[in-house]
Amino acid sequence: MDERRILTLKINGDPHEVVVTANTTLLEALREKAFLTGTKRGCDLGACGACTVILDGEAVLACLTLAAAAEGCDIRTIEGLSIRGELSPLQRAFVDHGAVQCGFCSPGFLMSATALLAENPRPDRAEIKRTLAGNLCRCTGYAKIVEAVEAVVADAGEIADPLPIAAGGAA
Amino acid sequence: MRLPAFTYYQPTTVEEAHAALIDHPGARVLAGGTDLLVNMKHRVESPEELVGLSRVGGLRGVTREPDRTVIGARTTLKEIQKDARLAADFPALVQAAGAVGSYRHQTMGTVAGNLCQNTRCRFFNQSLEWRSVRSLCYKAGGEHCHVMNKDGVCYSTYHGDVAPALLVLDAQVRVLGADGVREIAVGDLYSGEGAAPLALAPTDLITAVIVPASSAGPSAYRKHALRGAIDFPQVGAAVWRGDGVPRVAFTAVDRAPQRATVLENALAGAPFTEELIQSVASLAAKGATITRTTIIGVPHKRNLMSALFLRAASDIL
Repeated sequence: MDERRILTLKINGDPHEVVVTANTTLLEALREKAFLTGTKRGCDLGACGACTVILDGEAVLACLTLAAAAEGCDIRTIEGLSIRGELSPLQRAFVDHGAVQCGFCSPGFLMSATALLAENPRPDRAEIKRTLAGNLCRCTGYAKIVEAVEAVVADAGEIADPLPIAAGGAA
Repeated sequence: MRLPAFTYYQPTTVEEAHAALIDHPGARVLAGGTDLLVNMKHRVESPEELVGLSRVGGLRGVTREPDRTVIGARTTLKEIQKDARLAADFPALVQAAGAVGSYRHQTMGTVAGNLCQNTRCRFFNQSLEWRSVRSLCYKAGGEHCHVMNKDGVCYSTYHGDVAPALLVLDAQVRVLGADGVREIAVGDLYSGEGAAPLALAPTDLITAVIVPASSAGPSAYRKHALRGAIDFPQVGAAVWRGDGVPRVAFTAVDRAPQRATVLENALAGAPFTEELIQSVASLAAKGATITRTTIIGVPHKRNLMSALFLRAASDIL
């Protein structure tokens, strides 16, 4: 039951070998095995959205995903959004619009919003709010976060791939 | 909060998954994980074996047959919302799928997983530490029901959003059991017992949800939750308007989702008008055994049933 096994998780384009047990969540594997601590542990019960990552194109809760079930999937985390130190348009918009205060919820918001824009580059305000509902923020009051996402939608003439993988892996 | 230890099986076909359930009678099926894994973290459910469906092919997607629509058991709630024909034919189902939790619960949660959601109670769905200040409740393995202040009973409430929609759509579930495949009405999935709410054997695997073509038409689902993307419904109401025989079902009002037969009888045979729904709305709570398993009171829940019936019915006038 406590048998350890080695998984190869494809995180931001790079293979990571991690040693886990069956009850290791993807969140625990990312933070404690792959040492990618950008994905946050909030409630750990699926209510706060801080652990949101993108799994095969869908925003999911890493605290309620088993690491073993994520093997073979394309896992994207906050560490993969910036390429060689350059922030993604969404990250830049969060900074420019004051959508970050303490920053704990930001990775979850950014991954939810990134998955949304990858699927629909032109969401309206209602869809943005509907997608981000359940990502909890105790600082910003949400308005600036929604404005930041709207700014990216408005600014982009031709939307670039919101989930690029740099040649040779993410920075 | 760490998950308790368990053995995890990852079959790749329906046959393998079913064989795993037969070989390991204590095993539970893990679909989206948004209900079971939370309960396991709270230590109110601790199965020693899980059969994960994430790699099982053939359980996902919507197919149309001449007289019915077949929805694979592992079709996600988000995929249901994206299906334009489901939205046109069975709006209550699509609205209910979109009402579940947050967007991320909808990308993970599956249609059959939502149907099989465990019942809930303010004394049950709590952390081990929270629960340690009083004796274990009956559903968690103790003797006493803290809601009813009585031994040997459990009135934990079913809170799934999709079930009432499928009840008014007269849907069925396809179950692969020890004796082969059977199709049962959605209502027959539920035992009506709070402690063991599903009437399924440990070897039963739901493979599809089937909605008859005759249920296409005006339908609606409305819910009330204290916080939309976080909380389970305090009450959810689904209404389907057929030719003179409307159907109404509620969730979060009893140990199983249920049709409101008293209300349906009052609606039957008369033109479905604003005057009619207003005149019968007070009958919404007849037949439901509402107990105080959430933080809101029973009279308020009764009022919510009438109000949500009116909202859903008004959507399809």
